Amino acid sequence: MSEEVATTQSYLSFKLGEEVFATNVSKVREILQLTKITNIPQAPSYMMGVINLRGIVLPVIDARDKFRLPLTETTVNTCIIVLNIEMDEDTLMLGIMVDSVLEVFDLSEEEIKPVPSIGSKYKSEFILGMVKKEEEFIILLDIDKVFSSDEISFVMEQTEDIATPPTN
Amino acid sequence: MTKTILIVDDFESSRSILGRTLENAGYKVMQGNDGEAALKILDELSIDLVITDLNMPGMDGISLIKNIRSREDYQFTPVLLLTTNSKNDKKELAKEAGATAWIEKPFQVEALLNNIRKMIR
Amino acid sequence: MDNIKARFLEEANDLIEDLEKALLELENNPEDKNQVEKVFRVMHTLKGTSAMFGFAKVGDLTHDLETIYDFIREGKAAVSSEILSITLESVDILKLLLNSDQALDHKDEEAYNRLTKEVVKLAEKIEGKPSDETEQEAAILEVESVKSYYILFRPQEKILVRGANPMYLLDDLNALGDCKISVHQTNVPSLDDIDPVLCYLYWDIYLATKENEQAIKDIFMFVEDDCILEIHKVSDGNILSNEKFIQKVEEIEGDVSVEDLKEFVKNLLQILKSKGNAEEKGGSATSKENGLGSIRVATDKLDHLMNMVSELITVQARLSLFAEKNPNPELDAIAENVEKISRQLRDNAFSICLIPFENLLTRFQRLVRDLSIELKKDILFLAEGRETELDKTIIENLADPLMHLIRNSLDHGIEDKEGRTKAGKPAQATITVKAFYSGNQVHIQVIDDGRGIDPVKIKKKAIEKGLVSDEAVLTDKECYQLIFLPGFSTAEKVTDVSGRGVGMDVVKRKILEIRGEVDIESKVDVGTTITIKLPLSLSIIDGLLVKVDNTHIVFPLFSVQKCYEVTRSQIASAFNNMIAVDGEQISFFSLREQFKIENNYPEILQLVTISHENQKVGLVVDTIIGEYQAVLKPLGKLYKQLDIMSGASILGDGTVALVMDTNKVIKEFSNKILI
Repeated sequence: MSEEVATTQSYLSFKLGEEVFATNVSKVREILQLTKITNIPQAPSYMMGVINLRGIVLPVIDARDKFRLPLTETTVNTCIIVLNIEMDEDTLMLGIMVDSVLEVFDLSEEEIKPVPSIGSKYKSEFILGMVKKEEEFIILLDIDKVFSSDEISFVMEQTEDIATPPTN
Repeated sequence: MTKTILIVDDFESSRSILGRTLENAGYKVMQGNDGEAALKILDELSIDLVITDLNMPGMDGISLIKNIRSREDYQFTPVLLLTTNSKNDKKELAKEAGATAWIEKPFQVEALLNNIRKMIR
Repeated sequence: MDNIKARFLEEANDLIEDLEKALLELENNPEDKNQVEKVFRVMHTLKGTSAMFGFAKVGDLTHDLETIYDFIREGKAAVSSEILSITLESVDILKLLLNSDQALDHKDEEAYNRLTKEVVKLAEKIEGKPSDETEQEAAILEVESVKSYYILFRPQEKILVRGANPMYLLDDLNALGDCKISVHQTNVPSLDDIDPVLCYLYWDIYLATKENEQAIKDIFMFVEDDCILEIHKVSDGNILSNEKFIQKVEEIEGDVSVEDLKEFVKNLLQILKSKGNAEEKGGSATSKENGLGSIRVATDKLDHLMNMVSELITVQARLSLFAEKNPNPELDAIAENVEKISRQLRDNAFSICLIPFENLLTRFQRLVRDLSIELKKDILFLAEGRETELDKTIIENLADPLMHLIRNSLDHGIEDKEGRTKAGKPAQATITVKAFYSGNQVHIQVIDDGRGIDPVKIKKKAIEKGLVSDEAVLTDKECYQLIFLPGFSTAEKVTDVSGRGVGMDVVKRKILEIRGEVDIESKVDVGTTITIKLPLSLSIIDGLLVKVDNTHIVFPLFSVQKCYEVTRSQIASAFNNMIAVDGEQISFFSLREQFKIENNYPEILQLVTISHENQKVGLVVDTIIGEYQAVLKPLGKLYKQLDIMSGASILGDGTVALVMDTNKVIKEFSNKILI
């Protein structure tokens, strides 16, 4: 028995550098001010460390790093979005550091456009689609896939970069 | 002869809905949003029963009852206190202050009306 | 009504905003009584009003939350991070409930149910158990049959001054059934002396009713403390219908003597030969209670206990920190005392959660017996260290892996009768399971006298399967570890019992999950010993808090030996990672070097010697802060690859400290050097 799927869903948009991304609000637990992050040595660079969230130790990932975006300075707008991620049948709580949080908006399914496969900057398996809002393109992320993947980045290797990154 | 009930509660919606319920049951209803207002109404009108909430900012239910009882005209007036938990020490406080009866929130309308009938007929 | 409801939603949402603000304030200032008051008031109001507007779920959830905060504001409980977390979660659900008109989607519905349960548990935890079983029992009592009661109602003089009216009460009694009331006026003083505000009367009431005693009491609910109220059952059935009874009653002068009355009724009934009471069931069952050597405790109570102990230790850490920052001799003494006591409490609580290893043994015995029959092997099963106690979680997680190891040993390790005689071994094979403490670990061994594991064969198989390159040089120990690789099996035939070796990698994984290790020792044709090493305590450890640049790290105190001061140049000039301390040359590792931390490199550093596999190894850090009880918080799945850290701990000031597994760390650093 399937009920009518809500065709309109809410999304939270945020900025990484100049790019705007969005995720379904059902994945968002809360938004935090930037707080002291305890770095964990020997972890990959995009894993910034952990923070104390009301007694829970919450890992924080640098979303900008994962998207290979140039690391911008931390500003007063920089914050941490706490997400519920489904990974291997488990629900995981993690935080991602973003440059700023923009807004929550509703989208109906029809408004979501597929991402062009050619000339796309990001690997398509992580993207649910795109939408144009007020002259800006917003990339809708499949947040579960994005952050559970071990891949270092989602940037399409336009030119096959053979140089392998140095191991730790 | 229709009895008049005074409802005292700082939460407007509660007062309204309680008032509507009592009016439907045939009582006349006056409302006060805090202890001060309640005392004014008592002084100006003739009230047969007072229903008051326990926890209110400023003058709380217990102080209000004490104030009511100190007025000669209202020494014997039944007062119903709306409490929230059945912990017995609230009962002690209520009785010490002079409440006639108490009912725990949330309550069924039936139970409320029964309790009122115990006090005014 | 819609207007009122809309207004209610507005006000409710305002309240929730206030609530959230207050809760966040409380997180920063748990002592702030005003905020507690605010939270309580919101819960109170929501609880009282939401049901009226059709938000029953809101009412339910706020009901227990209100109880919790009531206790807090009375000083009977303190604000804890657990309470705040649950309350904040509840706030989210409350918002959902209110704004979606209680129409929750499936996921939220589950969250709501879970949260309500947690809140109830939390409330019970704080309140102590509210058992109202006696009330339930009372409710089961006879319902339909009529009983006759004698009721003495003697109100205090001042009863009228509270607005109560005895006449109404008598009216209500009358409404319950057949009723005969007589009034005593003996206390009424002469007219001159009468104070019109007082009530001088009292009443004898005879009532025959189907209702039970509770219903009668209910009538007097609001006045029961202001009067003498006696309710005596005098007979079953309606004795008021009996003329003789009425006659007797009317004759009574002065106060009624209940004994006399009852005596009279008894006689009357006997005369009438009415069927009186059924024989009352003889006595309460004599429950043979064996001497109270031990009691059963529900595991969730234990979990609560452990949670509370963890909370206590976290708070105690804050207290100690506060005492340090605000020097005050009395405060110091108190903080120290609290630390001592909470440490003892912690040890005690842990020991409560420990279960003797014996519990697992029955399962094993059964397994061995069944298998030996099936495989037609004669096996003797021995167990040592039955009383060794393990944390119950560990025991639960250990059962399967151990079963599998035993099964494996029985199936592949132990030769059949022929093979054994050929090898000159007794026909009966022996499998021993041993449990014992070693340092702050528990070791569990499965020892068999079977054919042993041939490292050469293993390596060969591994190369065949492409698990290892054929040029690799492996020690015997390393060969044994190959067994744990997924997809490995050297069994010539696949038996039903142990399958294709799917088990061993799962076994290792399960053991790693409880932060254990598994080692294998074996000699061909002699036997195999598999040792599982487990940490004793899962959640709170005694540690040494140290700092490297801005990062706080905790070393398990058990392994720490001594601390020495060293200089940066000593470290830099050290040859082959060796340094001399106390006249001894020991290897050391600098955390700064290993973790590549450059900032603020101090000139003076601290060397902490760690005992590692019977050797002394040094770890160099910036500063040593002191002893610290670390409540272990998991780092989460994302960091599962990183096993040098056992977890994290939250310090008194909210910073996150990393808890290091020194054994693993040293192993890893050593390996790096080899490469």
